[in-house]
Amino acid sequence: MPDLGNRANVMGPQPIGPIKQPAPEMMAAIDRFLAMLMSGNPVEALAMTDEPARDRVAHIAGAIKPGVYKRMSILGKARVAEHYFVKARLSGSTGESLTLQFRIGPGSGGRWTVREAANLTDVRSAWTK
Amino acid sequence: MEKMIPVDRLARPEDHVLVPLDKIREARLEQGLTPFNAMPFEEDFLKTRLHGICAGEFQAMEAAGRTLFDFPDAPWEFQLDMARQVWDESRHSEIYMKLLDYVGSYLGEFPESEVLWSCTQIDDPACRVAGINRGLEGLACDVFEQLIRMAQKMGDPVIERAVDYVLADEITHVRMGSKWMRKLTEGDPERLRKAQAFQDNIDNLFNFGGGRTTQEGAAQIKQRLGDKEVEIDATLTIAREARLLAGFTDEEIERLIKGMGKSAAY
Repeated sequence: MPDLGNRANVMGPQPIGPIKQPAPEMMAAIDRFLAMLMSGNPVEALAMTDEPARDRVAHIAGAIKPGVYKRMSILGKARVAEHYFVKARLSGSTGESLTLQFRIGPGSGGRWTVREAANLTDVRSAWTK
Repeated sequence: MEKMIPVDRLARPEDHVLVPLDKIREARLEQGLTPFNAMPFEEDFLKTRLHGICAGEFQAMEAAGRTLFDFPDAPWEFQLDMARQVWDESRHSEIYMKLLDYVGSYLGEFPESEVLWSCTQIDDPACRVAGINRGLEGLACDVFEQLIRMAQKMGDPVIERAVDYVLADEITHVRMGSKWMRKLTEGDPERLRKAQAFQDNIDNLFNFGGGRTTQEGAAQIKQRLGDKEVEIDATLTIAREARLLAGFTDEEIERLIKGMGKSAAY
């Protein structure tokens, strides 16, 4: 019998429920993370990143030249319990773009941190092996 | 057109978040959850389960379509069965999208993994139907039968009847798989052995770390549901009756039950 985890706050199954809205704090953290990457500020972006993902984020940050990208957009987000996978794009004024996908989750003190990241710019999707 | 299409070539809208299964597993483990699937004790169990099925229906539709295309020399009746399955799976996709809406979710709320499509990557139609129609659709029978019982306990006729409707189709898909696995391997025991081995691999892949059991042997956990409390299965069960209807033999079901708990596929 596998460990069934913490059952103290069991609520399911739920017959009908409202669509779960992402926390405003998370949306703000996503905006901040993307803005830091776009501005070429890897130190700040890395400060929001957990240790296991730092190399990946540093690599992505290294591929971004400051000032090239002018706009950021969130293409999609999907959650696994409280964590969200976020697909986002940075776009420049002359057609350049960088697409990335990262996972963000709440840490201690309500601080949202990046747990993993992938550069999807030259690949079809995160399914690409 | 390319045959044996790799998983990342499946077309999805840009706003869909596609994530390899191992990354989803990592995300779950990091949050102290079981690695494989949302479990009945989780807050989002029903939404997550329906979402996983919905994505599975899409990939099942694509898989049957690819099988139709990949094997143009297969018997005409085989191609007709695959075409019919595409049509069935497209209806199922729509049904589950509506059920997602019904439970307060939507397609895309959770990530989609590549694992079902990965099971199509074999170039023998006998293996393909053994793996997809008998392995994966057999698993669908288990999942759907359990959902129906849960819906009955919840007193929710919408989920109960919708899933029962889909289950009826899945049973025919398994039967189709059994028929074609045998027909295509007639007089070729080695090919039959390979097809069965491919199905065994898929059964093991979806063993979920040995966490599945029979309906009678399933531990029950209490769930709060509004102002009442119901008991539901703690783990995914094996639907003996539905599998018998689908043409699995008692021996095959017993083998499946005994196999549960010893796989180290994950």
